[in-house]
Amino acid sequence: MNYLLKNIENPNSFDVREYEKAGGYRSLKKAVEMEPAAIIAEVKKSGLRGRGGAGFPTGMKWTFANADPKFPKYLICNADEGEPGTFKDRPILEKNPHLLIEGMVISGHALRAEYGYIYLRGEYPDARDILNRAIKQAYEKGYLGDNVMGKGLKFHLTVHLGAGAYICGEETALIESLEGKRGQPRIKPPFPVNVGAFSMPTIVNNVETFSNIPCIMEIGPEAYSKIGSPDCPGPKLYCISGHVEKPGVYELPMGTTLREIIYTHCGGIKGGKSLKAVIPGGISTPVLPPSNIDCPMDFVSMPKHGSMLGSGAVMVFDETVCLVKVCLRALKFFEHESCGKCTPCREGTGWLRSILSRIEDGKGEKEDIDTLLDVSGNIVGKTFCPLGDGAGSVVINFIKHFRPEFEEHIEKKGCKYKK
Amino acid sequence: MITITINNKEIRLERPVTVLEAAKANGIKIPHFCHHGILEQWGGCRMCLVEVEKMPRLQTACTLFVTDGMVVMTESETISNARRSVLEFILINHPLDCPVCDKAGECKLQDYVMQYGPTAGRFKEPKIRHPEGLNDPLIVRNQERCIMCTRCVRMCSGIQGASAIAVTNRGNHSSMEPFSGERFDCEYCGNCLTVCPVGAIMSRLHRYSYRSWQVTDEIQTVCPFCGVGCTMIAQVRDNALMRVVPKLGLGSNKGLLCNRGRFGYEYVGSGERLKNPLIKKNGKLQPASWEEALDTVASRLKDIKNSSGGNAIAGIAGARCTNEDNYAFQKLIRGLGSNNIDSIARMGFAGGQRIFEGMLGPGVTSTPLSGIADSDAVLVVGGDPSEVNPVLGVHIRMAFKKGAKVITIGHAPGLGRHRTAGLLPHPQADGVVMGGLISAILKDKKSLPGGNRPLEEKITVMHLPSADDAAAACKLSAEDIGRLAKQLAGASSVSIVVGREAGGNKDTAMLVSVLSYILNARIYLMSERPNEQGLVDMGCLPDMLPGGRPLAEEGLRKKCGASWGIDIPADEGLTLMEMIQAASSGGIKAMYVMGENPAFNLPDTKNTEEALRRLDFLVVQDIFMTETARMADVVLPALSWIEKDGTYTNAERKIQRLKKAISITGMEDWKIVAEVGKRIGLKMPYGKAADIMKEIARVSPLHAGLTYADIEGGDNLWPYKGEPHKNWFSFPELSADAFTSPAEEGLCLMLEKPLFHSGTLSRKSPALNSISPEAVLRLSPATASGLNLKDGDFAKVSTEKGSLSLKVKIDRGIDGPAAFVSNNFEGRGLFSLTGYRLDPVTKSPLTEGRQISIEKE
Amino acid sequence: MLSDKTIEEVEALKRRYPDPRGAILPSLYIAQREFGWLSPEAFEAVSIVLGVPKAHLRGVASFYAMYRHKPVGRHLIQLCTNVSCMIFGAEDLVSLLKNRYGAEVGGTSPDGRFSLVIMECIGACEAAPAMLVNEDFHNNLTENNITEILEKYK
Repeated sequence: MNYLLKNIENPNSFDVREYEKAGGYRSLKKAVEMEPAAIIAEVKKSGLRGRGGAGFPTGMKWTFANADPKFPKYLICNADEGEPGTFKDRPILEKNPHLLIEGMVISGHALRAEYGYIYLRGEYPDARDILNRAIKQAYEKGYLGDNVMGKGLKFHLTVHLGAGAYICGEETALIESLEGKRGQPRIKPPFPVNVGAFSMPTIVNNVETFSNIPCIMEIGPEAYSKIGSPDCPGPKLYCISGHVEKPGVYELPMGTTLREIIYTHCGGIKGGKSLKAVIPGGISTPVLPPSNIDCPMDFVSMPKHGSMLGSGAVMVFDETVCLVKVCLRALKFFEHESCGKCTPCREGTGWLRSILSRIEDGKGEKEDIDTLLDVSGNIVGKTFCPLGDGAGSVVINFIKHFRPEFEEHIEKKGCKYKK
Repeated sequence: MITITINNKEIRLERPVTVLEAAKANGIKIPHFCHHGILEQWGGCRMCLVEVEKMPRLQTACTLFVTDGMVVMTESETISNARRSVLEFILINHPLDCPVCDKAGECKLQDYVMQYGPTAGRFKEPKIRHPEGLNDPLIVRNQERCIMCTRCVRMCSGIQGASAIAVTNRGNHSSMEPFSGERFDCEYCGNCLTVCPVGAIMSRLHRYSYRSWQVTDEIQTVCPFCGVGCTMIAQVRDNALMRVVPKLGLGSNKGLLCNRGRFGYEYVGSGERLKNPLIKKNGKLQPASWEEALDTVASRLKDIKNSSGGNAIAGIAGARCTNEDNYAFQKLIRGLGSNNIDSIARMGFAGGQRIFEGMLGPGVTSTPLSGIADSDAVLVVGGDPSEVNPVLGVHIRMAFKKGAKVITIGHAPGLGRHRTAGLLPHPQADGVVMGGLISAILKDKKSLPGGNRPLEEKITVMHLPSADDAAAACKLSAEDIGRLAKQLAGASSVSIVVGREAGGNKDTAMLVSVLSYILNARIYLMSERPNEQGLVDMGCLPDMLPGGRPLAEEGLRKKCGASWGIDIPADEGLTLMEMIQAASSGGIKAMYVMGENPAFNLPDTKNTEEALRRLDFLVVQDIFMTETARMADVVLPALSWIEKDGTYTNAERKIQRLKKAISITGMEDWKIVAEVGKRIGLKMPYGKAADIMKEIARVSPLHAGLTYADIEGGDNLWPYKGEPHKNWFSFPELSADAFTSPAEEGLCLMLEKPLFHSGTLSRKSPALNSISPEAVLRLSPATASGLNLKDGDFAKVSTEKGSLSLKVKIDRGIDGPAAFVSNNFEGRGLFSLTGYRLDPVTKSPLTEGRQISIEKE
Repeated sequence: MLSDKTIEEVEALKRRYPDPRGAILPSLYIAQREFGWLSPEAFEAVSIVLGVPKAHLRGVASFYAMYRHKPVGRHLIQLCTNVSCMIFGAEDLVSLLKNRYGAEVGGTSPDGRFSLVIMECIGACEAAPAMLVNEDFHNNLTENNITEILEKYK
């Protein structure tokens, strides 16, 4: 049973009429009859955790925001899907935009927020057009505007286009960016639920999180909480790329194991080659060797298996891939995306990239691996936001699981995988 | 009460502060780069990491607020390692060019590396290079040394409000850009320079000239440029002024300076300084000995007194001279039997203050600067505080940032981005808008406050225009006036900032008083020179004696005269422009000018010059050969502000100490005056400035018993240790046309008060000239395009009085049909184009003849 | 200066945010569209319409990868080379674009036809490698089909 990707096989799934035909906006109809507090209670009861990567309980976030007496409150959808390997929100944005809009209108009602923004990454021009068209339709149909569903509720929605900065996926950086500033993370506390966009209480949730709200309304929190892992229930979008037979976005119950995802749903390793490594949750999550893939993919289980669920972006590498090169490419990414605010991340990511670059080019020296580990250690835990932690832990984990490959590059003065 | 433990020491705190502040208050130093007491939090450098019990990660002490029971360690092996690693990260792209870095010796990075290491580098990769930014006349930027603490950006946008510095790009390619040129809006305050912890932003003025540890003396003194009276530290080496710096938290400026104060000081060392007395012989000024010069001055003045009476002598006192100088000066003029003594304070400051005090009570402008930033509404009228008194302007910007309503009446481009509303009536119709605001507020408030009965009686019969009528007369929207009136009426703490143009016009000044009364607002009087208030307080006025005592009160006059051993004439003397008129008609035959340049600084330059030329005897005492000095019969060279002791009284009416930082041969103004005084038989037995202060404390009831020690001890606010005068209420009549806006249309000539210059003194400052080298004609883009003029074109500006050829500068800060010309550059002053009429009460010259024609050349 | 129609567009944007600064990012896009890149004139124009200091705008614009700080060619190729695209040969495509069209990374082909920018993940990992040409999305790129695709952009 698909909730999030329901109806997307329909070539006109993005159209409001098709969405309505498939049962869309019924949850909103139900929600507008409910007291805001009751909706928050249902979300809390459902056990939904934020799908952006941190897995924070959504009901709890909403409760904090709701407790703040300041108005107006703002609702922001984080559609800045920038974690490399991640494309799970894209089908919702491009094929099921009304699900997101419905989720946001319900949330707006629950949180008594009258203005919503969808912070969409600049790299998705198609999604921008589709969302804008869908929003226009929703206004015409009375799902948005000054009198939502004729119930006197006000909710306005604006698509705000990002401009190419990974860090804006971090919620406080996103808010800075929405306010027209450089997207650098803010000091916390205060948290956005109290002092967020334009200094007012603000709720930032991921596309997939908001898209789960109509489902909770539809099937009820009890039924919802029975889907997938008990600690973090619900349907989950996993996006798989790399060397599998059938890459793509899959809606599966939260907690499906990595092995099942790769071998059952994605048809196994491409061309019958053997699995060398998997990055399970987007590039900032620790790489796993083939021996670790029996882990349930959820927020609670993954740390126990040495990695994180992150955005659920699984990147699969077969035996032909040079992992030093993957690690180098990851660090190039972190260097490029470091916002520059804090010293360890700003300077450290570039340093790690230079060393890795030398190793890959056959100019590595024996002490380089220790330097990599030491520099990474000096970044992790000392940065302003998790971006730096991610960069450091990527290096630490690649070396932890694949140290001989690094050593071989240094000893043999080069990369054997190079064509 | 919050109790925390830092390094096993129990600390009690009244309110939650950050760990860093709590530590600092208890003598525990935590290293930091990006944190700065007056700037917004940042938390980026990671140098202040500390260990906190029950928190898994190291925490930044600068952002973490203490909570009861918190246990903090600020030094441990883990912390040292973290700090060493932060320093290592900073150093990988830092050039290690300490031997040629001016910051060496006062560089935080250098100090911390000494303390925490690393002692050796292991970075083998190429460093990121940036060229040194040398395209700026005043500020040298070195991006390689920049550690991205962003203090400069937070200073520039958060405090100064100029927003001229930005971090550009991101990650390790981030850099600071750009400070200067005309791309953005640098005000050259140099406050970025104060906060830069490393050698990334430095002053070009002392580049490669000395090491910080070679400074032999640091002297706390007061800025010589405007009436804010910023506290500054003069750093001296081998009897030469190396630089002036502010000090965090010190003075009303609290560590800020403006471009003039920070970079303008070099005039002191100018080769053009007057060194020898000069006497005009055969039509030419020629060097003479001090004896000859002083004898000549004394004997000529005596002769003229004997032949034409004391009333034929006039004195213009100096707004850049100290209280001691000016006190001695008025004593000399009065000793010559004349009350013809006045100064540039007549241009608006003194008259405005007289009206405010007459209507509201003495000391009404004695308002601390800090009150502005704490206001929830600020009304500005009659000038641009950001240009006239830049640090005061910064306080208004800070108020706006905190959410205050800021309303300007008249041109104030420096507040263009920092105001709720800017009303732009005809330059002579500020009063009409004020009238409209007052009647709208009264309508809103329904009743008068009831504290000042005589004033309230007058207010009720004032014939104020309704908001609608005022708006119609000024072509403004009545709705705007109504809305702004509501905002003012609804504010609980209002400041009114008044410029020279409003102070000098009795109608506007009276309306300011009324507004201040009904809103219970503080009045801040802008002051263009450092000691205008001192001129007033020292009795450099034709109708006032020291301490603000009216000459007309016989008892006071007699008492004062007795203490000086003279008979003070009973008749009021002439005011500034009246003296010039009298010189022109032959009534004034001798004039003594101390530290002023009337031939250039007074309106209607040509007529003023001619009047001065008609004098039988003109003495000019100054530090440079000014336009006036060139016409003098005797020129007496004086010492500059940094070469003498004394006091200034600033616009807040705070008396502050000037201290001698360097010694050169020559005499202070007071000493020269005393030498002349002795030669005409006056008792002026002063060995040092403090001796004069002793006499002031004896003679002036306002300064009764005041000593330098009191002043330095902080006992320096009006009314000092004395008594203000008691009989004060006066209420002049409003002019019949107070509420009519002139009908004339078309381009209006306006006086630019440039941010980068001050009077004619700043002409001798190479740094200020490098950023503002010449007089320009400032036009709005619309006006310029209407005249088919582009930036850099030359245009001929003509009025009834004359014409000037000026370079065109298009200025987006200007609204409406106005053309701005400054009065600072030789031969290119606005006052050569305008006439004036005297305000009947304040006797300030009010500019006339603003209608101009502009032709492209 | 911006055209009247564009100024209206920016004014409408401003109304969508409680503070006009919210409109900075979209306004920079609009100015980029109008001027082709964020030239000094573009900053000046946005600064005037939004009442925001130029330094702030420049600082903001240079933070984001998708604003252009120099003139670009007729068509802008934004090619992803992040891990999922890299393992399917994205780097070879970079060389191909350089050899065949003379478009260096961050530069423009000598004939002014193509500018090339390397992207960090454009969310098309399931069909890697992928690129955006102007605003058109292309995936499953190979050394063969990329030239065919680019033929459409003259």
